[in-house]
Amino acid sequence: MVAATSRNVAVVGSAQTQLKAAWSDRQHVDLISEAVARALLGTGLRIEDVDFVIDSGSDFLDGRSISNCGFLGAMGAHHKEESRVEEDGLWSALYGATKIASGSASVGLIVAYSKSSESDPNDYWTSLAEPFTQRPVGLDQNAVAGLFAQRYLTRFGVPASALRAVTHRAWAAADGNTFVDATLEMLQDEYWSQEIASPLRRSDMARPVDGAVAVLLASKDVARQIGGSPVWVTGMGSAIDQHFIAARDGATLPAAAAAASAAYRMAGASGASDFDIVEVSAGSTAGELMVLEALGMAEPGKAIDLYADGASPGLNPSGGALPADVVMASGLVRLHEVAAQLGGRSDHAPQGARRGLAHASGGLGMQNHCVITLETS
Amino acid sequence: MTNIAIVGTGQTAHARRRLDVSQAGLAREAVMEALADAGLTMADIDSVVVASGPAMFGAVNQPEKWLVDALGARFKPVVRVTSGGGTGLAGALAAMNQIKGGVAKRVLVVAYDKLSEGALQASISTLYDPFWGREFAVGIMGFSAAYWRARMDRLGHTEEAAAMVAVKNRANSMLNPKAHVKKEVTVEEVLASKPLCWPIKVLDVPPISDGACAVILAAEGDAEAITSTPAWIRGMAYYSEADNAAHRSMLQSEPLKIAAAKVYRASGVTNPRRQFDVAEVQEPYTCFELSYYEGLGLCPEGGAAELIASGATQMTGDIPVNPSGGCMGANPIGATALIRLAEAAMQVTGKAGAHQIQGAELGLVQAGGGWANLRGVAVVGSTKD
Amino acid sequence: MTNNATSTRETMGSMTSRLSMPYTLTAGKAMGTFLAELGAQRIIGSRCAACATVRVPAQDFCGDCGAETGELVAVPSTGELTGWTVTERGILAFVLLDGTDVPLLHRIVDTDVSSLVLGARVSARWAAEPAGNVMDITGFAIDAESTVGALAPTNELLAPIEQLAYRMELTYEHSYGHFYGSLFDSVKNDRRIRGIRCPSCRNVLLPPRGFCDVCFVPTKDWIDIPDTGTVQACSVVHIEFVGQRMTPPYVYAEIVLDGTATRLIHSVGGLSAEEARSGIVKPGSRVKAVWSDRATGSLADIEYFQVIDGSA
Ligand SMILES: [Zn+2]
Ligand SMILES: [Zn+2]
Repeated sequence: MVAATSRNVAVVGSAQTQLKAAWSDRQHVDLISEAVARALLGTGLRIEDVDFVIDSGSDFLDGRSISNCGFLGAMGAHHKEESRVEEDGLWSALYGATKIASGSASVGLIVAYSKSSESDPNDYWTSLAEPFTQRPVGLDQNAVAGLFAQRYLTRFGVPASALRAVTHRAWAAADGNTFVDATLEMLQDEYWSQEIASPLRRSDMARPVDGAVAVLLASKDVARQIGGSPVWVTGMGSAIDQHFIAARDGATLPAAAAAASAAYRMAGASGASDFDIVEVSAGSTAGELMVLEALGMAEPGKAIDLYADGASPGLNPSGGALPADVVMASGLVRLHEVAAQLGGRSDHAPQGARRGLAHASGGLGMQNHCVITLETS
Repeated sequence: MTNIAIVGTGQTAHARRRLDVSQAGLAREAVMEALADAGLTMADIDSVVVASGPAMFGAVNQPEKWLVDALGARFKPVVRVTSGGGTGLAGALAAMNQIKGGVAKRVLVVAYDKLSEGALQASISTLYDPFWGREFAVGIMGFSAAYWRARMDRLGHTEEAAAMVAVKNRANSMLNPKAHVKKEVTVEEVLASKPLCWPIKVLDVPPISDGACAVILAAEGDAEAITSTPAWIRGMAYYSEADNAAHRSMLQSEPLKIAAAKVYRASGVTNPRRQFDVAEVQEPYTCFELSYYEGLGLCPEGGAAELIASGATQMTGDIPVNPSGGCMGANPIGATALIRLAEAAMQVTGKAGAHQIQGAELGLVQAGGGWANLRGVAVVGSTKD
Repeated sequence: MTNNATSTRETMGSMTSRLSMPYTLTAGKAMGTFLAELGAQRIIGSRCAACATVRVPAQDFCGDCGAETGELVAVPSTGELTGWTVTERGILAFVLLDGTDVPLLHRIVDTDVSSLVLGARVSARWAAEPAGNVMDITGFAIDAESTVGALAPTNELLAPIEQLAYRMELTYEHSYGHFYGSLFDSVKNDRRIRGIRCPSCRNVLLPPRGFCDVCFVPTKDWIDIPDTGTVQACSVVHIEFVGQRMTPPYVYAEIVLDGTATRLIHSVGGLSAEEARSGIVKPGSRVKAVWSDRATGSLADIEYFQVIDGSA
């Protein structure tokens, strides 16, 4: 297949609001506009240069139908081409990149946001399950994470206590990330002890936060005009697993592996080891290990080794999604992070990084996965 | 740029209520028909775009995650594009870009809604800002009726003219085997029908339906190998308008005009009335079809009432609009835009059966959603250019 | 944000919004049959025509390979525990029923957590009064004595349950934020309507917002707005529907308040349906707010708009 996207589309700007537990004094539109305005800053591009907007948000989280309809002005989408992808913003970025690679547009704005603090996040998650047999028995995001974690830990003989290293590392990184409100001090005793879905504790679960993120994609010509060091899109892939959680393997994520291999093929990458930065979004600590294994960063059951002191400096330098999960946007935050780190716009970039990978997951028990790879010239 | 063609289409047996299938089963039915039309199986499909109305219509959040089993799409890329009533066209546009952008060769687009399962007006009313007018909302019916009333005064879109749209589309539905509303009406009956949101009356309103539509897209080279009758997509665009922007005029739809201008430019259309052989437009109420005549340039501003009265948009006219019967024959909202695209493709490839416009070569498609602020246009032809 | 708000009492935190909507959901043939048969304390699975996988609950399609279900099979109510998790909402478990290939997701009941081990034999517990849904099995309990059952052919299956009643209840606490907060604080306490001006196009926007939709620049100056305006469009609502907030007939109206360039959505009141349709209120009609006795800090503080002289 011709990879028209490969090195023909660049991330030329990106920004996020601070991610915090509750932006109770701001509306969605305020967060969105802040992210969009900041993404434009320093690019020399103005809103009128943007050809199209692709956005990710959730009617269920927003409490309104076709919620993009009410946020078009705040996104800068007035009288532009616009579409809503009701999945994490990384899928919107994938759409936007194809639109530029196809030659039908030059500059695209990708927006993703949520304010899960405005509703019970469980309502969002449980409503993802088919309503006849899975929803009534009490399936939610915590239960599926617990069921799959038990599978993973027992199959590979990893003790649940080992997961503390995943939490600790993620929160330590987030502590150093000024755009995330999480600090190590917040990891109080009850975080470690409160059982949410055995074998997982509160400290193992992704923490929902509010926020918005915007990414500007541009064609090769526009990226060259802007100058600086463009960050090129080199590969993209996505894949979904079957719906019924009991029918999935649980201890491995074959859909994530399929998404990654499609992206690697397009990028001409030999595997995960080609990437200096890997930013992933997972719903739980055990889930994060499964994602890393699916990406090929470790053999099945061995990803915990990546969390040894000093190992893998390029793994989730931002902290990943565990300390700050913006539902519908965590994957696009990862893309923003990778682009900012590669483009010299981040204070937590690993030294000398040239290639990076952003991963998103969606659905109950991470049913759906998306991978985008980036590279600086 | 790579030319993209529609190589297969499928539709369910639309109905007021389908008790024999789930939402997922409904979508599958359309997919199986489209695959059979193209002579392909799911193994030949690289990527799936699901399009459906607001998830609150069906009580299932991100329903593509449930549909994947019924679609046989495990381990494929599956993404859902949702854009209100026009979502099917927005989904097709996403699919076109996947092919042109080099991430897929053959993309399946499936659009559906199973409106019998939910409380439609209550659901659509949540389109409104909870702080700004939601308590007055009647889905979008109150809004649509209000601006029809305004267009009556300014553009002469009379109740009689809109009634003629109802008469025409219901008559056309009689010829369409997929349409489930099979009842002809007269102008007098429409005018005398019960007001719902005056000036919208019950016979100005399409049915509430369960239904799905699927379309398979492929690129030049591949498309001709799949079918001897590809329908070429000459242009497609989907534009938006901020819902409460300053001086937003609802007399004419700006995003519709912008989309039409872009697509006409791409497809070499300079005289739409003369060049198009057929049009399929998505009319959530009769009054919208009148408005689209003007927005799409089929007649001058204020000329819609005259156009419908002239008979030009009848099956036998020079610019037949909605030979399928449009939404009046079947209205599974999230599927309606893709049905318009599929119907136009069927027309330009001579596959429309009893409602075929003889010799149709160039078809116009219009769709839209939200608060009349999401508007899409496409042009399909029997040849690439 | 760079907006220069004049000093306001920002007393507005969040507004509660409850969405409660009824549904009638159709499960499809196989799952509908599974649900119906539970009422007779029988568990129905399906065997894939292509890959022969047996899954329960019965499915119309195979999630593994996408093929249509070949046949329905009677599945024993006994099996093996292949996974569980203890949550706030109870114990959820994977139960691999005897003879099947795909576990059933359900609950563990009547069982002490400490007795759960992978591979334990379990059997179904049935509701005393079947309700025609998946909770007709209340859950599974450890049953070390249970013998290993086998699949059996089905005969004389009950008709599938065609529709399940469902209600979705969603509750939101929508933040007012600075802009709605400032507006509705003034509306509530001072009966003042305040918009905001775009410094670029100079239009006054109501409701106030952080960015001009057209110019995408931050808005700047707060502007007091009179409670009079012009009807841009209106319709007469007769239809009644589930979840309706007002009692028909009423006039739905989009009103541009004097000095603003945007739509305020409300109703025009004090008219009968006949008067409403007679042309007393139409695009161009001049209207004025009739304030309510309530002070809720919302559009409901205006009872309705009434037509005044001077229609355009
Ligand atoms: Zn199978
Ligand atoms: Zn402005």
